[in-house]
Amino acid sequence: MNTSAHDEMLDTVAVYALGALPEREARAVREHLRSCAECREEYRLLAPAVSAVGISAEACVDAASAGASVAPPGPLLKKRIMQQIRPNVGEMRAVRPIVWPAYAVAAACVVAVLITSIFNTSLNSQLRESQTRVAQLNAHAAATARELNTQRTAIADLLSPDSQRFEVANGYVIKHGSRLYIAMNALPEPPKGKVYQAWTLRQGASKMSPSVTFVPNGSGVAVVPVPVNAASVVAVAVSVEPDGGSKQPTSTPTFVLKLAS
Amino acid sequence: MARVRAHDADAFEALYDRYHRLVYGVAFRMLGDAPTAEDVTQAVFLKLWSAPNLYQSGNFEGWIVRITRNRALDILRSKSHGHSELPEQQPSADDLEETAFADIDAGLVRAAIAQLPAEQRDPIRLGFFGGVTHEQIAQRTGVPLGTVKTRIRAGLRKLRTTLEGTVSV
Repeated sequence: MNTSAHDEMLDTVAVYALGALPEREARAVREHLRSCAECREEYRLLAPAVSAVGISAEACVDAASAGASVAPPGPLLKKRIMQQIRPNVGEMRAVRPIVWPAYAVAAACVVAVLITSIFNTSLNSQLRESQTRVAQLNAHAAATARELNTQRTAIADLLSPDSQRFEVANGYVIKHGSRLYIAMNALPEPPKGKVYQAWTLRQGASKMSPSVTFVPNGSGVAVVPVPVNAASVVAVAVSVEPDGGSKQPTSTPTFVLKLAS
Repeated sequence: MARVRAHDADAFEALYDRYHRLVYGVAFRMLGDAPTAEDVTQAVFLKLWSAPNLYQSGNFEGWIVRITRNRALDILRSKSHGHSELPEQQPSADDLEETAFADIDAGLVRAAIAQLPAEQRDPIRLGFFGGVTHEQIAQRTGVPLGTVKTRIRAGLRKLRTTLEGTVSV
């Protein structure tokens, strides 16, 4: 490219920098700039001036006095743009933790404490009921165990060859060591509202003491441990008494047995 | 711009406050009506928000002026329906560093441009804001094409020299 042609290219670079070249020529200039340092330097020199031309169009509030061609846009434009920006920001901020005001936090804590308290009270009540139920079951189990143990002992005593058997009406009185049993095998059912009651006469006593009450089963069988130290008892009797027992016999005894002292 | 890239709406608002008059002014000068200039302004700033990485480095004022001018050229192009050849978009910074005067005052530039001879000033203004090619400038003014190009170059050099004495590049 001769000097004249290159000078013309430098002029073309200026038009390129201004952005006033048609596309076909602009492509050629771009290619040329890649290989020509002088033209590239010319571009760098003129580009700030072109930007300044654009800046000269900046809208101005006092456009007329400032020599500007236009006043700035109204606030509605900004509002319109920011309305499109903020929703995006809202979406981004939606994932941020919500900061509650102090009074709301306090109120929430009070509600939480109340709910917890009510829940705890309910749980405590249920716990107490459960504990009572467990205690009752334990007591029942213990009583059953004691009863079972008593029956086992009774069976052992009744079958023991060492026991003393005393035949009475409808059955036997059995003594084994310190334990005493009334074992009926054909005892009639007592009248309605009545039960059988055992009586014991302790050594040295002047009258019978009231002891356990009982009724036979449907077969007329009743095995009754008498809660007394057999070693101190000299006589045993059974009578029909009102339900709940009596302090002293109110009917003729079905039997009276004197034990050997 | 770093805060705008992080989608900081407050930073974006500050950027709008700082540059909206420039964007709107360039668009208005090129398009000649307020509603369309507002549309361009809105499009430029929304693009800035949605794709902030379009701006990489260099002078931001120069960059946003170029983006605005290119957007306005698109509108002029759509209005021309291909009946007339429009200039290509403002050269990008892909292969050339974005250079401009730093924090230059628009009033200062207007004064500097006013000092240019009309034969230089008019083709520069027409070329930049008119969205026309140098050939169309030659046709409209009746000045030979080579002369138009020479005057544009001379005017830009003089403008640069004038401004260089007052601000840094």
